[in-house]
Parts: sequence; C-alpha cells; structure tokens
Amino acid sequence: MHGRLKVRTSAEEAARKKKEQEIKVKTYRAGMGRIFEKRKNGQLDDEMMQITGQILSRNPDVYTLWNIRKECILKMAESLGNEAKQSLYDKDLGFTEQCLMVNPKSYGAWHHRCWILENCPTPDWEREVALCNKYLKLDERNFHCWDYRRFVVKKAKVPAEDELKYCTEKIHKNFSNYSSWHYRSKLLPLLFPHETSPARPISESKLKEELEMVLTAAFTDPNDSSAWFYQRWLLGYSQPALDIAAIRISKNLAIASFSKPIDLRTCEIETNFGFNFNPDRWQPVQKGNKYDVAWIVEDSFELGASDLQQYIFKCRMSDGKDYAINLKKCSDGFYGMKCPKFEYEFGAAVIEELKNQLESCNQLLEYEPDSKWTLLTASLLMRAIDRRGYHTKSLEYLQKLEKIDYLRQGYYADLASKWAIEKVLEEWIEQGDLTVAIDLSNLNLATIFYEQYMSIAKIVILRNNCLSDRTATKFNAFQFCENLDASYNQFSTPGVIPHIPNLKVLSLEGNKFSNNATTRLEDQMKNL
Amino acid sequence: MAFIVNDVDISAAEPKELLFDKHVEYIANHGNDQNDFEYCMTEFLRMSGIYWGVTALDLMQQLEKLDRKSIVEFIKKCQCPTSGGVAACEGHDPHMLYTLSAVQILCIYDCLDQIDVAGVARYVASLQQPDGSFFGDKWGEVDTRFSFCAVAILTLINKLDVINVPKAVEFVMSCCNADGGFGSKPNAESHAGLIYCCVGFLSITNQLHRLDCEKLAWWLCERQLPSGGLNGRPEKLPDVCYSWWVLASLTIMGRLHWISSDKLKVFILSCQDTDTGGFSDRTGNLPDIFHTLFGLGALSLLGHDKLLKVNPTFCMPQYVLDKLKINTQIISV
Repeated sequence: MHGRLKVRTSAEEAARKKKEQEIKVKTYRAGMGRIFEKRKNGQLDDEMMQITGQILSRNPDVYTLWNIRKECILKMAESLGNEAKQSLYDKDLGFTEQCLMVNPKSYGAWHHRCWILENCPTPDWEREVALCNKYLKLDERNFHCWDYRRFVVKKAKVPAEDELKYCTEKIHKNFSNYSSWHYRSKLLPLLFPHETSPARPISESKLKEELEMVLTAAFTDPNDSSAWFYQRWLLGYSQPALDIAAIRISKNLAIASFSKPIDLRTCEIETNFGFNFNPDRWQPVQKGNKYDVAWIVEDSFELGASDLQQYIFKCRMSDGKDYAINLKKCSDGFYGMKCPKFEYEFGAAVIEELKNQLESCNQLLEYEPDSKWTLLTASLLMRAIDRRGYHTKSLEYLQKLEKIDYLRQGYYADLASKWAIEKVLEEWIEQGDLTVAIDLSNLNLATIFYEQYMSIAKIVILRNNCLSDRTATKFNAFQFCENLDASYNQFSTPGVIPHIPNLKVLSLEGNKFSNNATTRLEDQMKNL
Repeated sequence: MAFIVNDVDISAAEPKELLFDKHVEYIANHGNDQNDFEYCMTEFLRMSGIYWGVTALDLMQQLEKLDRKSIVEFIKKCQCPTSGGVAACEGHDPHMLYTLSAVQILCIYDCLDQIDVAGVARYVASLQQPDGSFFGDKWGEVDTRFSFCAVAILTLINKLDVINVPKAVEFVMSCCNADGGFGSKPNAESHAGLIYCCVGFLSITNQLHRLDCEKLAWWLCERQLPSGGLNGRPEKLPDVCYSWWVLASLTIMGRLHWISSDKLKVFILSCQDTDTGGFSDRTGNLPDIFHTLFGLGALSLLGHDKLLKVNPTFCMPQYVLDKLKINTQIISV
C-alpha cells in the first residue's frame, strides 16, 4: 500500500466507512465466487467478461482475472472472422485504457495491452504511440508507460531520430525528467556512435553539443540531480577496460593481475620464453573466488636461460581477444606493468568546452559556494581536463563535499582515496623500478584501489591513513610484498591481515587493536 | 522555477525506538479478521503477504505466533498439480512471484518436502525463454524480477542446473544502463527495486564482477534524501521499502558506508504506527505488512540488536540459509 495517509476520523465516519467496506467485500466475494464457478464449467462468455471487468476496473492487480479475460477472448475469437475478431480485441483495449486511467501503474493492465496487440489480427501501433504521448503528458516519469512506448515504437518502426526529437522536447519542457535523460542515453549511441572507440558511447562532435545542452539544464536549477547524472555519464566515468595490469615471475612464484576480475583458468596463456603450464594451476589470490583481479602459481620455474630481445606474455581472455605485455628482466625473473587509463582522453574541441564549463561552475560557486552538484561536477571536469594539474584542487572539492553532503561522506572519502592512489601509482609505474617503495602514506585513505597493480611491488607503505578491517582483504593481492607498513590506521580485529607469503616486515603499530590483541599480533608477526 | 526536493518532514513526536511488541502483535493479528477490507482486497498477493509476515516474525524470533500447520496446508493447496507453480491464493493462477514466496516460507519452516519440489523446478524451467529471460507465468510478461525469482527459487531447492544460467546472466546484463543500474527489461529505466533483483541475481549466480559497482553504488547512495529516507529513482519521494532494496544492494556491493545509517534509522523508525504497530511507506501513512518486513529487514542490515541477521540477497534470516548451506556472493571494499 503506497501513499495512503492515515487520517483520524470520527466514530460515526468510521462506522459509515466500515459499512461501505463490508458491502464491497461482499460484492467482491460474490463476483469471485461466480467467476471461479464459471471457469470450472468452461463458461468463458460475455458474462465472464462482464464480471471480471467489474472487479478489475476497481482493482486491476487481481492478475488471475486478466488471465481469465485472455482465455475468454481466445475462445470467443475462435468462431469469428477477422473483422469481428479485431473488434473483440479492440473492445478490450478500450477496457484496459479505462483501468489505466484509474491505476496507470498496473503491471497487469499494461501487459494485457501488449498481449492484445500481439494477438489481434490488425494491431494499430501508431495509435499506441499516440496513447503513450497522452499518458506521458499526465506523468512524464511513469516507467510502465515508457517501457510500453519502447515496445510500440519498435513495432510501429518509428525511427530513432523521431524518438530523440520527442525526448528533446520532453526535456525542454521540464529539465527535471530523469526518464527522458535515460532514454536519451539509449538513443544517442545508436544515432551518433563514436568514430573509432566502441568503448566510448557517442561521437566527439555530438558529445560537445550534448555537454552544452546539459549544462544549460543543470544551471537552470542546480539542485535538480537529473541533468547532473547525465553530465557525469557524458564525462565518461566508468571502470577501466579489460587489460593485463601487472605480471611478475620469480623462481618459485608467478602472479598475473588484470584491470578487472576474470577467471584465469578459462584463459590461454602464451609466452616466448618457455613459461607455459596448465591453466588449472592458477589460484585466485583471494581463496574461493571464481573471478579475481590477481592470480598466482606457486612452483619452481626455470628462468634466465634464454636471452631474447623481447619477453612477451600473452593472454587470450574470455572475450576471445589477445592481450599482451612486454616484460623486463630483473634479478630474480621477469616483470611488467601497464598504467591503467583513469579517464577518457577527449579531443581538443571537447576539452575547450569542458574548460568553459569549469569556468561556469566556478562562477556559480562564487555565488553558491555550497552547491553540491556544482562542486562535484567541477571536480570531475578538472580531472577530465588536466588530472595532474588539478590534483590538489579536485581533492579539496571532495573534502568540502564530505562536509556539505555529509550523508554521502563515505562515498567522497572512497573517491578521494581512489584519486590519491591514482597519482602515486602512476608515478610509481612511470619510474619502473620494482625495488622502489609505493609510498601511500599520509593520504587519508579510507580504502585501497588498484591493488592488482601493486601486486608486484616489494615495499608498500600505507602508514598513517584511515584504513579499517573492511579493506584488509585487498592485501591478498600483495603477493610479492616483503615490507608492508600499515601502521597508524584503524585496523581493529586481530588476524584480519591476510597471509602474505613473501612478507618479512609487517608494521601494525598505532592501530585500534586491544592490548590482548596486540600480543596475538606479535605472535602472528613472529611467524612470518 | 524553484526546485522543490521531494521529501518528508519528520516531527520530533515520531517514534525513535523500535516498537517491538506492537509489531509482533500487528503481524500476528494480520488476517485474523478474514472479512477485513484490506485483507480481502489483497487476496491476489496472499502468498507473498504470508512470506512477509513469517519472515518479519522470524527476524524478531517470534515465529511461534503464527500457525505453521495451517500455513503449510495453505501452500500445498496453492500448488498447481499440472504446471508445478504456486498461486497467490486458492482459485488463482500459479505465478513465479508466489512460487518464490511459497518456497521461502517452506525453507523458513524447514519443510520443503511438503510440496512437489520437482514440479517447482519444472515450472521455473518452463518459463525460461531462448534469450535467457523469464516469463512471470505462461502469459508471457518478461521482467528482471522474474529472473531473480527463478534463480532464487532454484537455489533454495538446490536445482539451479535445470535452467541455462549463462543465458539468464546474459539477459540480466542486457538490462544494465549507462548509470550502472538496471530496469525491468532491456532499455528500461533504472529503478532501485529492479536493481535489487539484478544485483541479487548476480550475487546468487556468482557474477558480481560484471557490475560497475562504483557507478551503481553512487547512484544508489544518491537515493538518500535529507530526511534520511531512500527513494527508488531520482526526484521521487522516500519510501521504507526502498530502505530494503537500496540498502540490500549496497550491502551486497560492500558499500553500506556510502549512506548515513543513522539518518536512515531515524526515517525508518518514524514510519512506525504507534497505535496499531507495523510500518508504513512514509511517515504518517497507513501501515501494511509489506513495509513492515522491509522496515525490519533494513534495520537488521543496519545491525539492530533486537533483530536476527537478515541475508541481503534472499531477504530471509541468515540462519535459514546457513542451514541450507547456501552462500551468496558479497563484495568487500
């Protein structure tokens, strides 16, 4: 039961209402009784249509009655010619429309309409499109009607261009219309696909136009979220594409990690330096995972015999594509890593537009410094324009958001951690020396991202952050880590740090373990 | 045009503690008066109504307040001997939704053997389509809700192998949108209820890695309004049932900390009816059994100490799933 206000009524009024309800219950029971009896006797006739109609027009959720009407129509239609058949179906279309007027969110009534149109001899799909226009005028967020619209425009073969036009009109009438923005996000990739990259939803030139349009919408009312969501989609935030992240092979341990979780046991691995074995040997770093970002094999490998110009590690993944990485030789084997793509790379025209938008956001912030959506969008624009140059400033905005939008404090803290890690990781990958520490200390980290890229590092410093027990499982990826500094964080459960095979030094002082727990931890460390 | 946030005001007079005994009474008495108007008019979803009541009372460890025997007898009468599906009520037609409710109740009562389990499996399998989707019943309505029902039912009765799981996964993923969320069918708008169904589906089928969790969980945490309540889509009013759909999805994705639990608790508790017990959709509205379960379920996810732990995927007490040795996938961040 939704949206029914509890009202205090007088005893008299309550008694009157009760009486009225008693009559309704009686009528309903009598009607249902008659229906079930007739159904049992196979009497799928006009009377059945009439009684089911009476009940459904008051309560369209009684799903069985819709089924009975379908049975009636099928039976009655058997003996009719095409024209008479069509008018039988049309009559019931009229009936569903009546029901939808009372309850425009009835699953049963909408589906019945689809069923009629798919079963009648000559469906009039154009009329249905017009019906959608009418209902969406009454409620532009009715998702039943939007779904129905997509069903009928396909049947009526309405071109996507026309639907985009309809969508644009709807948005211009009211920017606060998430349903229309959603539909837009479905139509544009069909009409304006990206010139080269299938990962990007729409072409650069269309993107520029859309950015202009959405900013106007967003600035019309900066507190309305619909347009801002769309803007974020245009900026292309998303998870990275599937790729190899890092590889390291030493005498007794090999690790292969990936940008996304995969099932490595279904992949084919090939190298040009004799490192080949049964895919079943790979184990996910987190025990029991079917899909994981990092996989290991513990074995003894014959390394260093060959002297090639290039050492190539190739992996054919479940998408059927080959992913390859060039490895370098190091003192105890091979290693390689690929820097992840953190954002889309836009062309000059789009970047120019993004710069204009950032300027507009900053102007707005002068008048409304606490405008949440403006702050968030500005920080995202900065990352899209010049991630490194705006690093500090974009993090400042997130810090501010943690305060003014405190309901979502946890989200902003995680996002800030991600951005902070990206910067350090990128620099670490660029310098390329495995023995140099990944220094993530003093960054206010609430969680860890990109742990698969750190899987080949020797020294990981996480000192003085806000990491808590929930992030400890991420340490499973640190298979080659010999020195892990997790001191001055918020870890509190002893034993929460997973076993890391190569670990020689583990620093955990300054966490939230109880005294008792500290002793047990010391034991754990002794056993390293 | 001034933009007005769709939200509610919670006055200081609204309840701040869980009215435990009132709710027990509310659920236990639900349906005692067979001639009650609301009760009679909701006959078409009776089986789910019983599941909501049974689960809510079990979370409060008061299951003995309901008559197990008559409930099990009722379920037996609702199973269709031909198709194997279960109806909402005697005389009504079998449907995927009520088949799930019936199986959930029987699992809580630990007596699945009371119905024709092979028939249930046959029914669910018969509704899978070549594209991997599921009909709700033989009349052909397709919805991701039914994909969730299908894998939930089959996992509870340990017969997931009777359907084509990879195809089913493919269909659910074809309903994923640019905002990371899911709708009822391909190209349909994201909606928190359907997101729950799809995230739950992926958690049951061990395919959570297919989600863009960061994108989706951000969209979900944006459902929290200044009152603390959660809505189901942008610019809509808060509703207690979304406390469940959104919170359960965030829990499965390991991102419960992306919303304010304290504020949400305030909102949920304000939706209690101090006279009759039970929860309503919003502060000040009439209570019903559906919102009562989802209010209690959400409080359990938030760790309320008077409630048993609930499983975020199945919306059943965790101990029931432990007993059945069912593991659902959860992401940790």
